[in-house]
Amino acid sequence: MHQHLIELIRFSTYAELRAERERSYLGLIWWVAEPAMMMGAFWLVFDLILKTGGPDYVPFLLVGLTLWQWMKSCITHGGYSIWGNLGLIRQVRIPVLVFPLVQIFADTIKFLYIFALLLVILWLAGFPPNITYLALPVVFVVTLLFSAGGGFLMSAVIPLIPDLRFVIEQILTMVMFLSGVVFALDAVPPPLRDWFALNPVVTLLDATRGILMHGQWPDWIALLKVTLVSLVILAIGVGVVLRLAPRYPKLAA
Amino acid sequence: MDQPLIELEHVGVAFSAQRRVGSGKFWALEDVSLSLRQGERLGIIGRNGAGKSTLLRVIAGILAPDRGRMRRGTLSCQLLSLSVGFTPYLSGRDNAILSGLMIGLRQRDIVARLPAIKAFSELGDFFEQPIATYSSGMLMRLGFSVAIQAEPDVLLIDEVLSVGDAEFQEKSGSALRERMRQGHTVVLVSHDETQVSTLCDRLLWVEHGKSVCEGNRDEVFAAYHHGLAVSTAAS
Repeated sequence: MHQHLIELIRFSTYAELRAERERSYLGLIWWVAEPAMMMGAFWLVFDLILKTGGPDYVPFLLVGLTLWQWMKSCITHGGYSIWGNLGLIRQVRIPVLVFPLVQIFADTIKFLYIFALLLVILWLAGFPPNITYLALPVVFVVTLLFSAGGGFLMSAVIPLIPDLRFVIEQILTMVMFLSGVVFALDAVPPPLRDWFALNPVVTLLDATRGILMHGQWPDWIALLKVTLVSLVILAIGVGVVLRLAPRYPKLAA
Repeated sequence: MDQPLIELEHVGVAFSAQRRVGSGKFWALEDVSLSLRQGERLGIIGRNGAGKSTLLRVIAGILAPDRGRMRRGTLSCQLLSLSVGFTPYLSGRDNAILSGLMIGLRQRDIVARLPAIKAFSELGDFFEQPIATYSSGMLMRLGFSVAIQAEPDVLLIDEVLSVGDAEFQEKSGSALRERMRQGHTVVLVSHDETQVSTLCDRLLWVEHGKSVCEGNRDEVFAAYHHGLAVSTAAS
């Protein structure tokens, strides 16, 4: 049973990535082209037009968007997964946690490819590998826990309230702007800045940028706090999915 | 042999009537009891909307009863369903593996059966093409060829005895009858009375979400026809 589930998750993840490649004309190129176009837009507005970018704005933006894209994909794709598979859930007996998990794994594999490319770009741009790279796996594991928690939580609720789909994209866009993905939080006035720092996304982005761009070790205390928050969100997310699981087969797709 | 594999006692299943908070419930199944033993072939009969398909999904473990009791051991029940989890942009081969995993097979077992699936579905070279390029007939042939591979302890069948064109209908129908004759435990839902009477040895009659009677095939058929005649005369 256990082995079978692992096979199911593994093959479904492969199928998801494979289907995504076949679905569009340019296939995998979009994995890179989409974030690149987004980056271009922000660079145009914040650096070229408003001149608020600051030094090293392009690598700053690249790291921020790459990481954010991963988190956002896990939350939205994971979030839509149970809702999108209601037809399947009514036909076969599969633990529903499989569906968000597959999406989160697929998005993580995608991220790792994009991240490899990002590293090459950073090295070429004059940010060489350094000893603090050793902390990257830790930061990424925490990021994954946090995103998976968000994904599970969304996946549990969206089948019951599909209208949330229209809200979640807007909320995530807002979170992106509030998390220093596109501009440094140094620009935020000091009293507000303390509030901003409570946001787990800020901690994760700061840690990653510190490592990749400045050879700085992460703020371990802050990272530990984010880990705890992430574990709580994850536990709630998984708990709600399991709690609501008997209701999904009764929902109309 | 004596201990029933699955037992339902006064089982009911409720759905909410609309996708709204606080909307009313309706009971698709109200009060159904049945017992299924090893090697039995149980047919479920009843009119449209009687709750036959819902009952099958309860037995499959997809729907949990909202009231009543269900007892079942650690056995696998699989609803025979076509094209489970099919993804348009994947090849017939990948879809066969994916679908096989979803209906409970181990990956090595499906991979070992891929040649048989390919041959049975008569897809030839199309087997390696994305199923988005398939005609609906080809899709059904692939769906059936994969579905028939399932090997649960209890096979549940809901009116999909034959699919495709006349020739494939014959082929798929006989493959399924073959499976049923191999001594599997089967629960069959069908409108086709001749089919039910040739394939099943026991019957359960369900009416308005309630089990009316369960037992020997001929007795239940007699009661069912009598009941139909009475209700037709009354209306």
